Amino acid sequence: MAQTRRSLLVDPLVDNNPITLQVLGICSALAVTTSLKVSFVMALAVIFVISFSSMFISMLRHQIPSSIRIIVQMVIIASLVILVDQVLRAYAFEISQTLSVFVGLIITNCIVMGRAEAFAMKNPPVASFLDGMGNGLGYGLILMLVGFVRELFGAGSLFGIPVLPTVSNGGWYVPNGMMLLPPSAFFVIGLLIWAFRTWKPKQVEAREFRIQRVEAH
Amino acid sequence: MGLHRFFDRLEPHFTKGGRFERYFPIFEMVESLVYTPRTVTTAAPHARSYVDMKRIMSYVVVATIPAILFALYNTGLQTNLAIAQHGASGWRVWIIEALGIGFNPANPLANMVHGLLYFLPIYLTTLVVGGTWEVLFATIRRHEVNEGFLVTSMLYTLILPASTPLWQVALGISFGVVIGKEVFGGTGKNFLNPALVGRAFLYFAYPADMSGDTVWTPVDGFSGATALSVAASQGYEQLAAHGITWWDAFLGTMQGSLGETSALACLIGLAFLLLTKIANYRLVVGTMAGMIAFSALLNFIGSDTNPAFSMPWHWHLVTGGFAFGLAFMVTEPVSAAHTNVGRYIYGALIGVMVVMIRVINPAFPEGMMLAILFGNVFAPLIDYFVVQANIRRRARRA
Amino acid sequence: MTDHSATDAGAERKGPIRRFLDMPPDTPAKTVFVAVALCLVASMVVSAAAVSLRPLQQENALRNRQVNILQVAGQYDPARDVAEAFAAFEPAVVELETGQISEALDPFTFDDRAAADDPELSVALENDPASIGRKARFATVYLLRDAAGAVERVVLPVHGYGLWSTLYGYVAVEASGNEIYGLQFYQHAETPGLGGEVDNPRWRAQWNGLSIYNEAGDVAITLARTPPPAGEEYRVDTLSGATLTARGVENLVRFWLGENGFEPFLANLRAGEI
Repeated sequence: MAQTRRSLLVDPLVDNNPITLQVLGICSALAVTTSLKVSFVMALAVIFVISFSSMFISMLRHQIPSSIRIIVQMVIIASLVILVDQVLRAYAFEISQTLSVFVGLIITNCIVMGRAEAFAMKNPPVASFLDGMGNGLGYGLILMLVGFVRELFGAGSLFGIPVLPTVSNGGWYVPNGMMLLPPSAFFVIGLLIWAFRTWKPKQVEAREFRIQRVEAH
Repeated sequence: MGLHRFFDRLEPHFTKGGRFERYFPIFEMVESLVYTPRTVTTAAPHARSYVDMKRIMSYVVVATIPAILFALYNTGLQTNLAIAQHGASGWRVWIIEALGIGFNPANPLANMVHGLLYFLPIYLTTLVVGGTWEVLFATIRRHEVNEGFLVTSMLYTLILPASTPLWQVALGISFGVVIGKEVFGGTGKNFLNPALVGRAFLYFAYPADMSGDTVWTPVDGFSGATALSVAASQGYEQLAAHGITWWDAFLGTMQGSLGETSALACLIGLAFLLLTKIANYRLVVGTMAGMIAFSALLNFIGSDTNPAFSMPWHWHLVTGGFAFGLAFMVTEPVSAAHTNVGRYIYGALIGVMVVMIRVINPAFPEGMMLAILFGNVFAPLIDYFVVQANIRRRARRA
Repeated sequence: MTDHSATDAGAERKGPIRRFLDMPPDTPAKTVFVAVALCLVASMVVSAAAVSLRPLQQENALRNRQVNILQVAGQYDPARDVAEAFAAFEPAVVELETGQISEALDPFTFDDRAAADDPELSVALENDPASIGRKARFATVYLLRDAAGAVERVVLPVHGYGLWSTLYGYVAVEASGNEIYGLQFYQHAETPGLGGEVDNPRWRAQWNGLSIYNEAGDVAITLARTPPPAGEEYRVDTLSGATLTARGVENLVRFWLGENGFEPFLANLRAGEI
């Protein structure tokens, strides 16, 4: 592999971000980003699951029969997810209540399966672990950015600490209710993609067609 | 022509190499408001018509005039009626007293002036904030500034409640122009109606200021339900008890957003748009048919627990934003379907959806805004299937 | 763990496991083996985690319920140990119809939600304003006693349907049996910012001191749009923009404090029989 370990870890942050470039894992990004605290825990959970599932799958990659490889990947991922869920329920009860089904849905997060299938099946364990962690970090970065915007404007707070005093608590800030609804994450992610592509024009897709200028006869 | 010479003299500064080259879009905007735009269709496969984009847009603005005038009158009327009960305060009172006009609800002039004092701040905020975005994008992208914005800003103003805080007005139009239009490439490429996108943003972001009983008339302590919310919660028969007859609702002397209360004013505008062939009649026919058919179906089914089921179509027509949306938003050509058959389907979809949202959805008594946005989203799909069906039919014939 | 390139040499000396690992992965035997082995390992890991963490999880769930009860009764102090503060509450299972404390059912094992689905312990509702379908005939209430042993407040479980979800919560009632101390929901999925405002402390504070029954003995609590006039003791502001959640809350509170709910129990409480 030409990729260095550093690039495995750093590339998925901006240059090849799983959410903004590959547009994967959107569903949970919509659901859990109403507050930073929850986004943070979710990001940690995904980073854990994706790094270790990639590592284990890579370790077993020569033994996995190709006919059942997807199922094998799913079993490994699902076991890790259940592990995370159980630990959260034991040690972070309130957050696990807010995350509810979304921890379980990490199993269906396309990023995890995608890295297992696209990278871990072909690469050695350490590289797979780093690749998984890099993608998890890329996912987590977007989650935190979206969570930051949504919590700040939707509730006037960050990590639950009031930043903009809201009207209902006697302040001046009128919370933007839409920021608490899932569609707002679409707008925020869309604007992020816009910002990323303005910053790194290489990410813009090629045009599908060109408008020709027709001269009058 | 002195004016033309004036433009000709200014032009070199704005064209390539001139001092203000960057600001050419602004120059072009002002010039083409008065004269023919410089880029006109010349190539072969295109039809040429005297009705260009600028004319279409100006005609739509003309068509909103009855609704604007009635908005001024009704806002003033409702406010003056409420002031008689609750008293008045604020800078508007000071101006009206300085002018010596008074707050008599029986005096149309007093109503118009008072309404104007609510309409103007919202409209000016919309123009300044939305216009800034428009010019900003045109300058960066080297596009022409499009008159479509004049329509958007007018429609947006007319569908807001009179009590909307100005910072919300600014936020809503920013969202509408940027997310509803510019991110897709500007006028002509927007698949949603920017004015509605802005309104929907406010509706979901600040529901307490956009719905309920206290927002329609900007007087502290006043509470008055819209005809639609009365009909949704108690049944349309109860409207009479609230002092609203069908004719009141048709003329528009009731609670509601600035310009949407009067079905009559909206229909006059619609007639103008249909006569000038700017609005496509198929859209109107489709919407009316969908609305009438679906409300008749619900009347027929009936419901013991939901009084809105029994609301007949002629009440749907005159309450809420139906007439306004029908006249100025369903007929908007860019976001509507583009095939003739598709236009009927598109209209019918909106007509059915508006009744469905009003009657069956418990959370939103007003459905027109959401129904039109829903239709906008589906318009390309409808066109696709109409075109595909046509291709198949031709293939069979060959 | 194994690398194919490294295992070619010295095939003679390999043990059975080594030989098995070197089998091409796509043979049927190997496929079955991998599937079985993986399932065994995965299930062991998962069940080990579940079993070892269960006590902590149950403690969390219990603590969560206790915190909610403490909060609604105004006894919550973040600095104090929850279990210790909760010791002041005495759980009791009440038979709703008679309003008497049932001696037969143990409050520490009785499960309110399971009981609502148990045909033995529940009834289908004909008149069902709270849209809950079935109602358990028994409910766990919590009695807060003062130093002298007299009941000071009672905490009653309530639930009912709002706009999108069933709201579960507690109502704390003063010993007079006619005055609400507080209302709090611990589980719901109403629209954040609209119906979700049932969690807003300012809105909840209005419930404090509300009278439940009017002179005729009917539940008089309503959620109204207009601010209550002075001296109005039954009325709470509605939730702006959330008509249906507010209606759901009104219905469920009226239902659970009414004759099909805790009214007999509160009557007994008033009479000093509890």
